[in-house]
Amino acid sequence: MMVDRELTFEDVLRFVGASAAAEHAREQEAALASAPAKSGCGSGSCGCGNGNGNGTVLEKTVDRRRALGMMFTSVAAGAQVASACSPLSAATDEEKEIKLLQWRETIKRHYRFMTDQERADTINRLERLAKLRRNLDIHIDSTPAQPNVEYGYAFNISKCQGFRSCVDACINENNLDREAATQYIRIFEMEDGVVDLDEADATFQHEVPAEGHFYFGTQCFQCANPPCVKVCPVGATWQEPDGITVVDYDWCIGCRYCMAACPYWARRFNWSEPDVPAPVVNPNQHYLGNRARKKGVVEKCTFCIQRTRKGRLPACAEACPTGARVFGNLLDPNSEIRWVLENKPVFRLKEDLKTEPRFWYFTD
Amino acid sequence: MMLAYTLWSATHRSKLARAVRAVLLFSLAATSWNCAPGDYENATDTRQATDGRDSTAPPATGQTAQDAATALLEPGALKTVDGVVVEGRTGPGGRPFEVARRTPDPPQGFSRQFGTITLDIALRTRTPDLSQYPCISCHMGGAMRLSSQRVRDAHQNIQPVHPAETGATCRNCHAPENVELLAFQSGQRTTIDHAYRLCAQCHNAQVTAWAAGAHGKRLDGWQGRRVVLGCAACHDPHQPALQKRTPFRAPQIERKRRDP
Amino acid sequence: MHLKPFLLTALDSATNGGRRYHVWMGCLTLVMALGGYGYFLQLRDGLGVTGMSDHVSWGLYISNFTFLVGMAAAAMMLVLPAYVLHDVDFGRAVLMAEAVAVAALVMCLAFVVVDIGNPLAAWHLAPGIGLLNWPSSLLAWDVIVLNGYLAINLAIPFYILYSRYTGRSPAKHKYLPWMYIAVMWAVSIHLVTAFLLAGLPARPFWNTALLGPRFLATAFTAGPAFMILLLWFIDRVTEYHIKEGAFTKLALIVAIAAQVNFIMLVSELFYKFYSPTHHGINARYLFFGLDGHNALVPWIWTAIGLNAVATVALMIHPMRRNPRWLMPACAVLFIGIWIEKGMGLVIPGFIPSPLGEIVEYTPTWIELSVTAGVWAMGLFVLTVLVRVALPIEMGEVTSPYLRDPHTAAVVRPAGAGLRTGQINRPGGKRPGGDEPGRRFRTR
Repeated sequence: MMVDRELTFEDVLRFVGASAAAEHAREQEAALASAPAKSGCGSGSCGCGNGNGNGTVLEKTVDRRRALGMMFTSVAAGAQVASACSPLSAATDEEKEIKLLQWRETIKRHYRFMTDQERADTINRLERLAKLRRNLDIHIDSTPAQPNVEYGYAFNISKCQGFRSCVDACINENNLDREAATQYIRIFEMEDGVVDLDEADATFQHEVPAEGHFYFGTQCFQCANPPCVKVCPVGATWQEPDGITVVDYDWCIGCRYCMAACPYWARRFNWSEPDVPAPVVNPNQHYLGNRARKKGVVEKCTFCIQRTRKGRLPACAEACPTGARVFGNLLDPNSEIRWVLENKPVFRLKEDLKTEPRFWYFTD
Repeated sequence: MMLAYTLWSATHRSKLARAVRAVLLFSLAATSWNCAPGDYENATDTRQATDGRDSTAPPATGQTAQDAATALLEPGALKTVDGVVVEGRTGPGGRPFEVARRTPDPPQGFSRQFGTITLDIALRTRTPDLSQYPCISCHMGGAMRLSSQRVRDAHQNIQPVHPAETGATCRNCHAPENVELLAFQSGQRTTIDHAYRLCAQCHNAQVTAWAAGAHGKRLDGWQGRRVVLGCAACHDPHQPALQKRTPFRAPQIERKRRDP
Repeated sequence: MHLKPFLLTALDSATNGGRRYHVWMGCLTLVMALGGYGYFLQLRDGLGVTGMSDHVSWGLYISNFTFLVGMAAAAMMLVLPAYVLHDVDFGRAVLMAEAVAVAALVMCLAFVVVDIGNPLAAWHLAPGIGLLNWPSSLLAWDVIVLNGYLAINLAIPFYILYSRYTGRSPAKHKYLPWMYIAVMWAVSIHLVTAFLLAGLPARPFWNTALLGPRFLATAFTAGPAFMILLLWFIDRVTEYHIKEGAFTKLALIVAIAAQVNFIMLVSELFYKFYSPTHHGINARYLFFGLDGHNALVPWIWTAIGLNAVATVALMIHPMRRNPRWLMPACAVLFIGIWIEKGMGLVIPGFIPSPLGEIVEYTPTWIELSVTAGVWAMGLFVLTVLVRVALPIEMGEVTSPYLRDPHTAAVVRPAGAGLRTGQINRPGGKRPGGDEPGRRFRTR
């Protein structure tokens, strides 16, 4: 019993161009539906190859072309659920639905080229998958950039005390991998008079602020001329009209070229399946922001796109207890960020690289 | 209630904190709304007068714990922030803005949950103290006339570093006739909500930067209503330097490995 | 109509051979299986099973990739004179060179595939259904040039071998234009790969104009060095003999390229060490270690030592002309370049990170086994290609249609009569081919 009756294997087959096998697969599916639940890899619609799926093929002695089509479909579908395949237990309706949803997710288009309907569909699928797999009620948002808005950030190195409250807030807000202890923000402790990251220390754990030191926070600077966007071979990362560089996590192939290209070490890779325990998942998500990532893709700070596009401050700015973080709209001459840029001594990191970061440091 | 508040602060950072806090806040809220704040509300009538907009009234009694919890977790947290329009200063572009106001009950106070974030202000709010020990219960009339020994006993939590460094006395800031009012050097009076005006007498540059957004904290949004925290939200007026503290855990520089 | 027997002949040649051949292929298969298991673990658990991290985001895989692109490009050092300049000395070696190019490219592509974190999304690279960010991304360029080069290097030898197989002489006007293209293409694949790294101002270690030329120099060192070893091996164990001229010319190429490479290395080091700026900090890590982190120091000095010794040996004429010295020198040089241009080039680009943090990199056993598996696959491909090419090139096997056009029509693809293509016939008459020149022998 599928929840969405349109998502049948036939659709899948039609998509991958193996329509010759579609009819056959439907028979197979019917056979499977009536078959009792079996344990072990290969049962059910997983199509791993050694279950009753192959048996059906052999019994019916299909001709070569048909068999090839079947094989291709099986391999494709099998590869899709390869991760789920090893402990695959009974193919319940829910599991079938999960697999079909996963498959549809695999073959979907690049976010930028989706129609509104396709976006709504993929969001529905993702929300449904979160419900089915983790029993989470999440809300994924796709709010576009506001017109006449370009975000800018200013960081007051006179004010930052090194409390790392921003780091804490960022982890909670952005559903960062707790197991891998991923952090987007680094706070460097620097000796007075030495702005040199090579000499700085980010691992301080003593009481802060330490005498004779100041604190220097880094994160993604949302460059106006982002080197990471330029190098992505599949265009999975791009700059939004409001200046935020985002990643389509489902389009990223995980080549990590962007990580090599970023002069600010702002990108993080999911080396394993990210682990965010259900009780601490932030359910207010954005498709281009803090929604669940998967292993093997790159992620980054998005200035909390899920918050800022709704007029709220990024989590780090809101959590900062010292007011060292100023955030606002660069295109609004009456914004706080503009006041800082016009009235305070400001500088940017590695300006010689012409990346034009939208993140300034300033002093009182 | 003091105990409860201490507990509340102590559990602030812990993982269990959220659930504990929700329960705690509800119990606090229930007790204070039912009995305690009445005196305080009456005593600070001047504050009501300076309030430009309708203050967020304390929720009716009988509110459930669920309501209290969801109120804290609501994304648009600014809706519940009580602010006063700032006098004598404007924000960037000459726009008026508000300063967040001390309110008597912790759920309306500053240490609160904004969305998934605990706004972790270095607050030393005196609100619970004030609600339990309203100033006027001791300071009636010529209120400052207390022996120095009794002052120390009554205000153990006050470390008068700032007055000691500047050679000021209580009366340089507190109005002798009503200690809940603040006194300018000129002799004018204002309420505790507008303490920034008092600070600006010496720290004009900071207050200017504060009004423009380069100093201090704006709450919740970069867009729409601008509510900022007042000076005393972060700086204890008697001891203005921010206190040292243990930072949030250090980053893991080497990647944590999971064995296959 | 010759295609089916051609493929069957190929299959036949590839699957038949002496005991040593089978042992060799069996070993390669075992290593490939080990690599396959490693890759399975990596697919299941993610790239976390490797030694890479957010700081060192490329490791052994990309190191081998950059090295092997050079190997592929270097095949053209043989093709260029043989086809374009009509240098007969290289004639027999050229097909082997193209086999090396194909094997190296297969390894390159395999290393890219095992390196990407989300291989299920690899179709996003395909033009049409995916989105190839060309011309902006140098990696998109690399995808195009590598696949194009692979296609050319498959097509040209296929055409030549197929012509020989069907008893025709390959038509020059058909393959020569592609040869010219291939020569330019060979330079381009390596320059593109160099630009892929050199175009990143975030990584000052790579961001140098000298990287492209250095890549070419190392390629023209390690590639021909490997060719010398391969041709020597073929010359010794098969009846397919290579003339001395081919060896001496190749050795000269290696000797010159090794010296050029050394000069470039010295200028690079001078630039990075004389005025120690931020840009030199990665080199400092590589050669001397930073704050007690010195995992790469023994490796790079080993590489420098090997390269220096081999370069000096190749500069001395009598040594270069004697296989007893030439072969070890080539092997040493190959290993030296592999370290210098692989791990010694890619890893230090990441250490310290752009924010000055030092995280070192050590490959895990899974990474090592996958790498070994890919190398085994490359050698497997190379062995098969050489195995297939030799009998055809020597004229030992031709299409059955040529021999008996009447029966061939009946026999069809069963492959009857095709098993004569044995290449190790001791003392057998050398059929066809050029009249061999002087053999290259130990003196």
